[in-house]
Amino acid sequence: MFGQGLIKGLQITWKEFWTKKFTVQYPDEQHPVPERFHGRFVLDVDKCIACSLCANACPNKVINLKREKVGKKQFLTEYVMNIQYCMFCGLCVEACNKDALHFSQDFNMNQYFYRDIPLVLVRREAPAEPEEEQAGKTGEKPQRQAKAKKQAEPAAAEAAAGKDPGKEGQ
Amino acid sequence: MLENLFVGVADWLRSLLGGLGTPVEINEAIVMLVKLVAILVFILLNAAWLVYMERKVAAYMQARIGPNRVGPKGLLQPFADVGKLICKEIVIPRKADIVVFLLAPVLIFVPTVMVFAVIPFGKNMAAIDMNIGVFYLLAITSLSTLFLWMGGWASNSKYSLIGSMRVVAQMVSYELPLVLGLLGVIMIVGSLRMSDIIAAQEHVWFIFTQPIAFLIYFTAAVAETNRCPFDLVEGESEIISGPYTEYAGMAFAMFFMAEYANIMVICAMATIMFLGGWHAPFGLDFIPSWIWFFLKMYALIFIVMQLRWTYPRIRVDQLMGFGWKVLVPLALANIFITGVGMKIYQAIGW
Repeated sequence: MFGQGLIKGLQITWKEFWTKKFTVQYPDEQHPVPERFHGRFVLDVDKCIACSLCANACPNKVINLKREKVGKKQFLTEYVMNIQYCMFCGLCVEACNKDALHFSQDFNMNQYFYRDIPLVLVRREAPAEPEEEQAGKTGEKPQRQAKAKKQAEPAAAEAAAGKDPGKEGQ
Repeated sequence: MLENLFVGVADWLRSLLGGLGTPVEINEAIVMLVKLVAILVFILLNAAWLVYMERKVAAYMQARIGPNRVGPKGLLQPFADVGKLICKEIVIPRKADIVVFLLAPVLIFVPTVMVFAVIPFGKNMAAIDMNIGVFYLLAITSLSTLFLWMGGWASNSKYSLIGSMRVVAQMVSYELPLVLGLLGVIMIVGSLRMSDIIAAQEHVWFIFTQPIAFLIYFTAAVAETNRCPFDLVEGESEIISGPYTEYAGMAFAMFFMAEYANIMVICAMATIMFLGGWHAPFGLDFIPSWIWFFLKMYALIFIVMQLRWTYPRIRVDQLMGFGWKVLVPLALANIFITGVGMKIYQAIGW
């Protein structure tokens, strides 16, 4: 009565005027993303055995992987996710036996051209020679891993070249 | 130096023209023209930046930052907006009364600009110190009702018509408490000249001797400029945008700028009538008089903006009831008490 509520309202807006502002100016600064955020996929090529469990787990048939047999082993030649159909449910990450597929915290995946949308995680040529074969038979475990890593290095570089993150968010 | 900055500029211009050997009348006319153009530029720039201020105040009260991209701190935002609005087409509805429709946004600025000629922005800084200044100001400002009505009627749209009918109802009924509120001050001073009114407040501002009158005036003035909580003329949620509904581009911007220029008028008027005009409080005379005037004016403008972002809009019946049943009787009572008080003071010879 007699304008007490009016004065109370003015006090509230006056107090709010001086409070800290909550706006986060997005391109310049970002909200911190939770640890288990479902962002862009990252494939650890060394660990991947091209079993295609992830592709089978996907409800939207997002994951397309191609493999070739090199010697006795499956060799992953292409791993492309049609990310425009992905709903980031995480079933593929759960399905991975070797813990090779992960989410990253990067959510900025927009592209200027439609053709750039599919997420190319691996695209590489299969080696013609099954050079691992003999080493795998005779060598010990650490040696095998070291060799596999050596092979994976160029592959990882290719994967990075296939998908240029710098183009994203334009 | 700073105190007489603008007066000095006018004198310098006069002596410069005097050296040219032209007749004195022409020199005075040129000086007057320069004064009026300076005021015009000031109003237009100010109206643009008040839009920016409004957005900033709104943002800060909602824990946001507000415009901050165009120019430093977003200060060039109003110019970007005006540039955009100039580029836009002025859409004319098919059944509109074209002449009146286009005339309304042009004329809406006229009363506002006319009023600024008599407002003293500092010591000896009124372009024209008229002996009926207050009367002139009240008479001219009430004209803007007509132009809003013109715009609303000529649009030939139901929302525009309802909005402009509300304009007429609201502005006519709040004109009364506005004038009656000012009457108390005028009774004490005994003059309608603005410089006299300011001179009378050298020791005590009228807000302390006439607090009720100030509240009545300020409330009625906020209603008069169609600002929230009395913005049912625009009433976005009910009648889109009232009389401005059919206007686009710069025609709309003219109405919008006129609204802010009107806020400046009422706040300048409140400063003159109740807050001591250019007088410095607490003897802080080293700050120039015009800075004091603008400080007081902008403080009031801030309050008007704060009112907008604090209160919800009131209903039409509440608006009318509040105007006629509360403000007008209060203003009349204030006049009565002021008159009795003056007589008592005269009787005891104070």
